[in-house]
Amino acid sequence: MFFLSEIEHTLRLPPYLLNRPLNEAIKGELDSLFLDKVIEKLGLCVSVYDIRSIDGGFIFPGDGASTYTVRFRLVMFRPFVGEVISARLKESSKDGLRLSLGFFDDIYVPVPLLASPNHSEPDPEHKNGIRWVWEYEGENYPIDGTDEIRFRVHNVSYPPVPLEQGKDSDEKESEQKDSKPFAPMVVTGSLDADGLGPISWWV
Amino acid sequence: MKILEHNAGALTNFEVLDLLKSRGAGKDPTRVIASVSASEFKVFDYLEQTPACNQTRDIIHKFVDECKKFDLAKAEILNVVNMRPSSAVEVYTIIEECDTRMEEKIDDFVEMILQVLPAHPSQAEPNEESGEGKEETVQ
Repeated sequence: MFFLSEIEHTLRLPPYLLNRPLNEAIKGELDSLFLDKVIEKLGLCVSVYDIRSIDGGFIFPGDGASTYTVRFRLVMFRPFVGEVISARLKESSKDGLRLSLGFFDDIYVPVPLLASPNHSEPDPEHKNGIRWVWEYEGENYPIDGTDEIRFRVHNVSYPPVPLEQGKDSDEKESEQKDSKPFAPMVVTGSLDADGLGPISWWV
Repeated sequence: MKILEHNAGALTNFEVLDLLKSRGAGKDPTRVIASVSASEFKVFDYLEQTPACNQTRDIIHKFVDECKKFDLAKAEILNVVNMRPSSAVEVYTIIEECDTRMEEKIDDFVEMILQVLPAHPSQAEPNEESGEGKEETVQ
């Protein structure tokens, strides 16, 4: 689930940080720059593991800030295909399920990858929601939000950043009205094997 | 930004949890003071609920040694350490072509997992309480 990746970056250290010890200031800048952000092909950055080297410290003409070339390692969340992960149900719709890990919410299980055979029924608890039910040997096993759901990673994709939609990123309300907010990393999971699905089905 | 090494090593859930704990992440009261950001706390919360919260480095080394008998891929060992399957069914999902590669050794494998890797606290509590109760009455 978690991997280390080594990155080299030219970091500009703003002048107001000059009174702090160098390591702390650089770590703070790296945190604000990379934490909780998705880097394509590497995954979601969870934490800065360590700083390997700091070079430079030159000040470019016309600029008040010093620029450092920093080599460091980041802890990235990057599930690999075939990995089994436990998550919680976030929402259930006619297209399938959406699962959440707390720090990462864009895990989708589309209908073809749900445990089959199955059928959907209107959810008694949520007004417009749909609940999926697995049929096995005559019994019905619903998928609801009570316990953890195990899924296997089917695919991880990094959709390109959309250029057209709503150029001002401040207008979040209008974006949400039309479509889902943009997800830079999407994990597709499958529940279609023995041992997958809510834990209560197998324990 | 240049990517020097795409994959400099895989980390088990335990190692990430250990890293966050060493930075100062803990349960509720310490949140405001620690130098750990909110997004790192979310990861910490998630990992606390997995079996990784009970593991130590020695346990993991021991487990990897024991796994050598079973000829497993590194990714499979990683998955098992993270998930701690407690029955054969759960092992089938994690290990590819389990039937052909493991055959009868599955039960040994599950047995070994149950012995070496500690269970998640919510699963282990009922056993421990009843065990301690019996010891007290005997003494």
